[in-house]
Amino acid sequence: MTPDQPLHEQAPHEQALAWAMAMREPDFADWDGLTAWLEADAGHAAAYDEVQCALDDADAVLAGLSEPLAANDNPAGWFSGRRAWLGGAIAAALVLALTSILWLAPQGAAFHTTAPGETLLIALDDGSTVQMAGGSRLAVLGPRAARLEAGQALFTIRHDEADPFVLTAGADRLVDAGTVFDVRLAGDVVDLAVAEGAVIVNPEAQALRVDAGERAVRRDGRYRVTAVDDAAVGEWSRGRITFENASLAEIAAELTRATGQNFTSADTITRLSGSIALAEVRADPRTLGSLLGVRVSASGDGWVIVAE
Amino acid sequence: MASTALLQQAYLAHRDRLLRFVRARGAGDAAEDVVQELWLRIAAAPDPQAAAGLAYMMRTADRLMIDRYRAARQARLRDEAWAEAQPGLADNIAPAPDALRTIAARQQVEAVEQALAEVGERAAAIFRRHRIDGTPQRDIAAEFGVSLSTVESDLRRAYARIVDIRRAIDEA
Repeated sequence: MTPDQPLHEQAPHEQALAWAMAMREPDFADWDGLTAWLEADAGHAAAYDEVQCALDDADAVLAGLSEPLAANDNPAGWFSGRRAWLGGAIAAALVLALTSILWLAPQGAAFHTTAPGETLLIALDDGSTVQMAGGSRLAVLGPRAARLEAGQALFTIRHDEADPFVLTAGADRLVDAGTVFDVRLAGDVVDLAVAEGAVIVNPEAQALRVDAGERAVRRDGRYRVTAVDDAAVGEWSRGRITFENASLAEIAAELTRATGQNFTSADTITRLSGSIALAEVRADPRTLGSLLGVRVSASGDGWVIVAE
Repeated sequence: MASTALLQQAYLAHRDRLLRFVRARGAGDAAEDVVQELWLRIAAAPDPQAAAGLAYMMRTADRLMIDRYRAARQARLRDEAWAEAQPGLADNIAPAPDALRTIAARQQVEAVEQALAEVGERAAAIFRRHRIDGTPQRDIAAEFGVSLSTVESDLRRAYARIVDIRRAIDEA
């Protein structure tokens, strides 16, 4: 059922499938043939739309579907096995990141660092702002380029189609398309949430588009896109943090960064979702116990969280 | 910059074909707008040389139309879901779009997993290589040690399942 076979004998739906399959080939060239087919019948465009949209959504799921997490939650083997294809993308991103640094070096990169519990608002020259969360490090590489080196930051970017703002986070390149977005970097987990506009992740590779109200989390080299309350994006800057399916160890690290108090947990299995007002936790870390349904105990100069 | 001028030249050379394509895709009165938006996308492309090719422009145009279709579809599904969930209620009570979106996203993941489980491991793996990695079918055939027609038939089954299951969800 390639488009070479007698198409008129198949239903429009079948023909649409065949075209979708054919045009996916990298060397597909029969664009005029596709146009002619679309023009031939009013039902063709609708069938083609339905097929392409379903496939595109499936692509997003597949590209984001993470490998099952190992029990020890160890993100090893990025470049191994079936994730090898990512290697090229990462290499490309690294080269690009490197190029921007060299290129912008004469203007001088500005580095900003926050201590745990501290936040910092940075105004960029073009009127964009970056609010940095605690325990974070950001390099501003130029008027339209920055690199998040650790932690989390909320970006409110003045959009310019001709000169998009590019953020490097870990190995990924995030390109804004009219945007308020929040990025968190923890190990090699990149967590992107978009409140307004859209962000394109690695335009040269996956070209994953993350729209307002969506969150893309990369674990073990794969992105998973989920819905997020756009009002909750960057809410840490308003004294609140939200976890979605985060392990106690991840929550402890987040709390440390946000409050400046030391939280630890060895538990990478128990996963929780919820939203916490930080003021309460700062005042008395024990309140976490009832908020999250966990046990919190003082230990040395910090707090240890274990599952109830 | 010279590359921008070349890119613009290439775009202008292809503009009529692109316009005809988006019209055939159902853009209607918005065709000119779509093609204008297409230019903005192309101009912002990271690799101007690749962006100057007809294939890149056509694929980008196709993607713009998919996005338009999706936006319209989501608005329709949201309205329907809201109408079903709240029969007869005044619309001054805000619906919960996030919950709807979360459910839709979860459904979508399940649908894809189900479809690929149904077509079997090889077809699922081939589908992934073809869609996500962009590997040509003849390379996939060599990689899996099967004939090109086997790759085609695996892909056709996977495509059909993905689309059928999605349609079943929409009609449910």
